[in-house]
Amino acid sequence: MLITLFNAVLIVLITWLAYLYFDLKEKATPAKERYSQLVRGVASVVDRLEGYDKEHSREIAELSERIGVACGLKDEQLQSLNAAAMLHDLGELLLPRDLVKSSKKLEGDELELLRTHTLLGELHLKAQIEELDEVPSLIRWHHERWDGLGYPDNLKGEEIPLAARIIALADAISAMNAHRGYRKRQYAGDADVIAEVKRLSGMQFDPQLVKTWLGIGCPLSGVKK
Amino acid sequence: MTLRLQSAWLLEAVSDMATIDSVFFPFIHRFSALNWLSRRDFALSVNAYSVSQAMLLRAWLDGSYGAFSDRNLQKFNQQIKNPLELSMNPFRAWKDRLFDRQQLDYLFYWREAAFEIEEEAQREIFWAAVYQIMSYWLSNRACEVEVVCQPDEIMGLMLNRHAEFIRGREARVSVTRLGLDELAPADTCLTVFPLVFSDEENAEMTLQVVFDAWQNGHDDLEQSRRQIRMHLRKYLIDFSKPDDYYTITRLVANSKIAALVWSGLDLPPALYEQELVRPLQKALAGRYTKSQLLMKAVDRTCDAYDYLLLFS
Repeated sequence: MLITLFNAVLIVLITWLAYLYFDLKEKATPAKERYSQLVRGVASVVDRLEGYDKEHSREIAELSERIGVACGLKDEQLQSLNAAAMLHDLGELLLPRDLVKSSKKLEGDELELLRTHTLLGELHLKAQIEELDEVPSLIRWHHERWDGLGYPDNLKGEEIPLAARIIALADAISAMNAHRGYRKRQYAGDADVIAEVKRLSGMQFDPQLVKTWLGIGCPLSGVKK
Repeated sequence: MTLRLQSAWLLEAVSDMATIDSVFFPFIHRFSALNWLSRRDFALSVNAYSVSQAMLLRAWLDGSYGAFSDRNLQKFNQQIKNPLELSMNPFRAWKDRLFDRQQLDYLFYWREAAFEIEEEAQREIFWAAVYQIMSYWLSNRACEVEVVCQPDEIMGLMLNRHAEFIRGREARVSVTRLGLDELAPADTCLTVFPLVFSDEENAEMTLQVVFDAWQNGHDDLEQSRRQIRMHLRKYLIDFSKPDDYYTITRLVANSKIAALVWSGLDLPPALYEQELVRPLQKALAGRYTKSQLLMKAVDRTCDAYDYLLLFS
């Protein structure tokens, strides 16, 4: 009798805790949405200042998410991926405008300075959000290359977190497909972009990600056609 | 052996402790991890764990070697028009296991052609480019992705990439290839130990094994694997022997600052603190008065963090 009563109390307690959990989760969702909207807002300011003709960061975030979902990333990883993709070029705001918007091929000290945007973005965000959040690290590594010849840390292969590899691929696809006010579209047609991505598989890009991207129909943006 | 060396983070963390003018690495897992440091104006001493790794470090990090010359490129990066005789190829056992027939022809040709390059530094750059090409071929093969570039085209691309990579190097780089027992502590401002916990073979280690065999002109991967494992084991950190840090304490003896870097996976940070940080603090207590542990998240869902432990 005593055990039965104990069980009954336990069931009531578990039910109450479950209710509390789902209630809190439901209340928390709008906060998450508000956070996403805020990140999107910041990203659109960055895009505007960078001279893109469209919502570049949002496009990368959506394309990254499509690839991330195809790779089987968990919800928590997808959230970090989305935030990092949205804010990946934040560090460029801290650099001289004429350097970021230069239409000539940068070399030497100018190139080195431009490359610090990955570190600046990470540092700036780390100062604002929880120390052990991975989003700043993903921003730091969005220009790493599969072959170890990227920057800033020259990580190679799977040393680069999957989310950062996804952003690198999405960013490059978007860059091949976009034009800025001061720079024309790099590749004439979609087929040229696809051929270039294939050519750079195993050099700039993770071959497994290239395969995944080909497998989902080579989207050039996050919007399904 | 996942290890992310974040050099800018490292230098930023030690900048309050001293002005860094010299850095010593008793071990490095991969040449390109030192790219950022080799662009700074200081002395960089690195000990490679194998002969082929020492060559890669010289070729890719030391700017004083210059780029591969156009004259040599034209002479030694020829297109193979007709397939070579397979029975003459010392790497034929790798056919369809690691490389296709055309790739094997080029691996044979490039190795032999390099012997005709007069300047040793130029030869090492040419061979070092093959390392990157092997990496490209093997990683695409592992994912069954078709390779689009022709071998001579990819060689041209890699040598071009090498020329860009070495531009603007300021560090005075010195590379040694000594066993850990022979290696003496260096009189440097900063000694950095990248820590490895396992010799489990990943894609990078397979590449190092294949490259080592290729450079030595044979197809016996087991021989190269044994050699590399033998060297690597000396650097492995074993949690079951927490007091066995003699090598580390000996090699940091002449440095103002010691830094230990590692990347954790699947183990919570508290466990690293308990099993690694505290024993190390105990082992180095006689040499340094201060220690500081820094961490960065990489992927919280699998407890992947990067660690930096500093002693000053």
